[in-house]
Amino acid sequence: MTTDWTPAALSRDIPAASAAPGQLGETDLAIWRSASGRIAAWSDRCPHRGMRLSHGFVRGERLSCIYHGWGYGEGGQCVRIPAHPELTPPEAIKVPVFAAAEASGVVWVADGTPAGAPPEFPGFEGFRSLRIHAPATVLARAFGGAGHVIEGTLGPCAVVALIQPLPGNVSALHLLAPEGAGPATLDALSLAAEALRRTAEAQAEQAEEETA
Amino acid sequence: MIFYDYILSPSCYRVRLFAAVIGRRLDLRAVDFHPGQEHRSDAMLALNPAGTLPVLKDDGIVLTESTAILTYLAAHDAPAWLGDDTPVMRARVAQWLAFAQRLTDSAGAARAHDMLLAPGDIDALRAEATTALRELEAALSAARRRGESFLAGNRPTIADIACFPHVALAPDGGLPLDPYPSIRLWMRALRGLEGFIEMPGIHRLHELLPEPGPMPDVIRKERA
Repeated sequence: MTTDWTPAALSRDIPAASAAPGQLGETDLAIWRSASGRIAAWSDRCPHRGMRLSHGFVRGERLSCIYHGWGYGEGGQCVRIPAHPELTPPEAIKVPVFAAAEASGVVWVADGTPAGAPPEFPGFEGFRSLRIHAPATVLARAFGGAGHVIEGTLGPCAVVALIQPLPGNVSALHLLAPEGAGPATLDALSLAAEALRRTAEAQAEQAEEETA
Repeated sequence: MIFYDYILSPSCYRVRLFAAVIGRRLDLRAVDFHPGQEHRSDAMLALNPAGTLPVLKDDGIVLTESTAILTYLAAHDAPAWLGDDTPVMRARVAQWLAFAQRLTDSAGAARAHDMLLAPGDIDALRAEATTALRELEAALSAARRRGESFLAGNRPTIADIACFPHVALAPDGGLPLDPYPSIRLWMRALRGLEGFIEMPGIHRLHELLPEPGPMPDVIRKERA
């Protein structure tokens, strides 16, 4: 399965009026949700002094930088500079914006205009995101699959594994679990995911030693 | 209560933060830890032979371990922060207080290495800290599945206060927190506590404060 979209986070991990760091290829993102629930993915860099906007704060429908409080609204446009409250900020002060959409409890991001909506996985919902110090190929192999979207079994249940390659031979694993799975199943799934991470990291380390 | 303090010490901040949250006034004495090494002066060693900070002095008692100081302050002023008197919650609080020491020895030591030129094998310290942070993330994601926001249950205890500073400051030791969504939400809950105070590198939740001053369109409308 291929898609223009990259899975970058789970919806449940970014509640209303909060921001989180994310990644799209080499680009650092600030993924944030407004008070009314809209998700957005912006460049993680305040145009003013370069501070990470993912450290910022959300009031209403705006994301503000933690450093000097510059506030950005729809389309990444700067709408407020607290030190100059009477100034309407020039249009040129704008944060680069990326496409962001949610499906099956996953926040998907893309550069430009992706073809179609992000994929849905009926019957599954976001469970956990884990950072894994292994390349995406090694992680997929540890899973017994290939590619970046793997539908299979992990520990006690069926899962959808979304593998996000990150810079520096690192991956993110965004794991989807069956909707309505009970607490004991999910606890066991969490342990299985940790075990999978240990396996993938050991394999990546071994591969590195062999090539060294 | 006299509190011997160093502003950049996460262990001292544990106590300052907790005292602020429960409304306990401390008589602060600043100790020049770096670069002055005042914690190793004769006067300080007489108080605490281990030569560490913080130190709390109260009627007839001198405490030199920050988790013991948290326990003392909670028992003195705010016993709810010790957790419920049930076997599970009491044990969980004890478990995470001990875990806080693992954070001090790993993430805290990595930060001391990078910021204060302390000795140590930085790669080994970061690997230990990563193990601890992953354990914390897994526990907090399990807590969220149970509908709980804190380490020992559905309300904060001294265990959360003890673990918070070294986690929040881990990036100072080359340990980014980006990979840990449940840790981020837990820190958000703690940063939003009534009475929360900051230390250099740890900020409050600005979204809880009122907007400073009106928006430009409001000003224009008022003038029109």
